[in-house]
Order: sequence, then structure tokens, then C-alpha cells
Amino acid sequence: MQTLINVGVAQMQTAANPTVLRTILGSCIGICIYDRVKKTGGMAHILLPNGSGSEKPEKYADTAIPLLINNLIKAGCKKENLSAKISGGASMFKFNPNISLAQIGEKNIEMTIKLLEENHIPIMAADVGGNAGRVIDFYLEDGRLKVRAGGKEKMYYKI
Amino acid sequence: MHEQIKQRLEQIVNNIGQLPSIPDVAGKVITMVNDPDASFSRIAEEISKDQAITTNVLKLCNSAYFSRGKEISSVERATVTLGIKEVKDIVFVAATKSILDKQIMGYDLAKGELWKHGLAVAVLSKHIAMIKKKSEIADIAFTGSIIHDVGKTVLALYVQSAFKEIVSLVDSKQITFQSAEREIMGFDHQEIGEKILTKWNFPQILRDIVRFHHEPENAPNESKLLVSIVHIANTICLMGGIGVGSDGLYHQISEEAIKTIGLKDQELENLYSNLPDTINNASAIQ
Repeated sequence: MQTLINVGVAQMQTAANPTVLRTILGSCIGICIYDRVKKTGGMAHILLPNGSGSEKPEKYADTAIPLLINNLIKAGCKKENLSAKISGGASMFKFNPNISLAQIGEKNIEMTIKLLEENHIPIMAADVGGNAGRVIDFYLEDGRLKVRAGGKEKMYYKI
Repeated sequence: MHEQIKQRLEQIVNNIGQLPSIPDVAGKVITMVNDPDASFSRIAEEISKDQAITTNVLKLCNSAYFSRGKEISSVERATVTLGIKEVKDIVFVAATKSILDKQIMGYDLAKGELWKHGLAVAVLSKHIAMIKKKSEIADIAFTGSIIHDVGKTVLALYVQSAFKEIVSLVDSKQITFQSAEREIMGFDHQEIGEKILTKWNFPQILRDIVRFHHEPENAPNESKLLVSIVHIANTICLMGGIGVGSDGLYHQISEEAIKTIGLKDQELENLYSNLPDTINNASAIQ
């Protein structure tokens, strides 16, 4: 039996096979990291690219990513076996560039990619940007990611 | 244009029996709140006539979001402790839950998502009114937010069958989702929502919130501020993924709404950044 865990806004969760981690995304990013050998993975639902450092680390890409990697290593994962899939980072339709809030989706994508690269975690799939909301399911049995957006489903298998 | 759907929707809005109903007590309480002659005890008496609503109202009065600490065990006590505007908001939550707390197929919202979205937008709208020192309208911002998407409950079925056409029009003409709803089906979820509130005899200000929440620049001047507040709260919740469905973020953020409320860039970002608090407060309403 697969257990479904909902990961909320600015939350993080790590679990092992056969769990499914789910979240719903607008401009936020769902960062999914998987250890293909240990079949253990984690998801962070970040809201913003970076914070002041004193707050909840799960909320920001720059603090959530190192924390997620650390949590996975504590759970017995090996860094060299980790790979990532990311999704989300949508923007409001035809936003006016004067409104800085509207650029958060794009900034979240940039920072997430930068931090994963800095931490040497390869990105296997990036279903990001555009204007669609996304529901994502991260299957820890094999690390596949299902992205449901605008009434359509896509599946990403590469780990 | 999808003629069959348009005709069907015209039939529905012209035959209000087919639109959702709301317990009478909600409409009565709204009218009484605006009536300077209505006493606390008369309002409490009116609420108490509906046993099911009363039970829920008392539960909500003692929920973490509304409670002032002391246990409230009668509606009359609630009107005195919380004030009639707050009690009106609570009656509203109790009266609309069964209409909104369900799966909304065409918009791809699982059961509970539209309801939680309304609660989060309500909490955030009220917060915006408070930080902008407009506490006198905070309760209307709250009630309007709860029901801003009520039109989706009726339109969902038709959105489901016309979904491909709507999406391809959004793509080809680069228009918002609700503009495409209107072009394909003759009505968008704002207009259907307004018809529902008209059936319920709700005040003009609430009808305006429902009718213009995606296009606050077109709202009448007297309701522009409230419509703008709900528009911004709705936008921020959607960006945070709260209640985002198949229409996604295919909605525009109105610069005029930001100006009308007088929100600075930093304030807007703070509202977004504090979404986890908004979500916690909204989940404390039960």
C-alpha cells in the first residue's frame, strides 16, 4: 500500500518507498530529490527564492535545498546517488513587469536551479514556468514524478 | 462560441430555481447587520430559529480563529462578545459550507479545495483591510471572499465539456481564462456568481465583489476598494497554490487594484511571504 503525504506550503518531507509525496503549486516550486539506490526521497515546497536567514528555512530555496539534502543524508542516502526533479514557478498571466510580486515564479526557478547546481545535484526534469497551476505526485518506489496541469498529465521517469 | 452551453446557461440564470440555495438565515442576518434598529437579541433570535446553523455557529465561535478565549455557549452571548459583524461572518461560513465544500470537476479541484481557498482568501482580505486601517469594511471583505468563486460551482460542469475550446482560445487570443469562459459559453464564473447572489437577495457590495474579482478596474467606484482587496488576496492565494485549479494563473493581477488599496511592493511581497500564517489561520476556522 502506498501512503500519500500532502506537503503544504513552506513544508518539507522525506520518506521511503512506497510513499507518494504530493503538493499543489502556483508560483512556488516543488523540489523533489531522490536516492535511486536507497529508494528514499524528499520534497520541499518553497515559496520564495531567498530569505533573511533567521526564519523558517523550508520557506526559501536557498535554505531549503541544503536542508533537504542534509535530511536525506541523515536518513542514510548517499549524495552521489541523489538527483532532482523540479516543478512549479508559474506566473500570473501577462503580468506587468513593474509589479515585483509577479516575478516571484521566475526568481524561484532561477534560484532553485542555481542552488541545486551549487550542491552538485543533477536536475533530471524541470516542468516549470508558464501560467498553469500544478499538482505533483512524487513516487518514492522509483522516483518518478507525475505533473498534472491544465487538465493534462505528464510523467517524468529519469532518476 | 458554444451555442448549446450558452443556451443552457441562459435557461439556468433565467430560472433561478436551478441555482444553489442558501439558508434564509444568512440573508436575514446580512440585512439586520445593516439595520441600525436591529438589536443583538433580535439577531440572536433569528439565528436560533435555524437549529443546524446555530450548532455550527457556536462551534465556529469557539474555533481558534474566532474565539476570544472564553467559552461561548449561546448565540446571544456570541453577539455580545464578538460583535454582530463577526457573528454575521460566522453565520456566513456556516451557511455556505455545504455549497462550496465539494469537488469542482471542470476546474480540477478536489473536494475541499474551493472551500479552503475561500477561507484563505477571506482571512487574507480581512488582514489587508486591517493593515490598511479599514477595519470598518474588514467583515465585508471576509464575507465577499468566502463566496467570490460561488459561480464555479454551477459553471464547472460546462467548463468540463468546453475545456479544450477555452484553453485553445486562451492560447490563440492570449486572453485570461475567465474572458475565454465568457467568449465560449456566454458567461464567466463571475457573472454566474452574481446571478446566484441576486437570487439570494444579497447586498450590491457583495454582488460587486463576486462580479468583478478578476477585473477590479471595472467595478463601480463605491465598491472598488473592497473588490480590489479581494482581488489581491485571491491573486496571492492562487500564486501560493491555494485552490489553484485547471484555470491556473491564467488571470491578471490588476495594477489599479494595488494603487486603489495603496499597497507598496514590499507590503505585497510580505502578504505573499506570510502565506503559511494565512493558511494556519484559515485552517483554524472549523
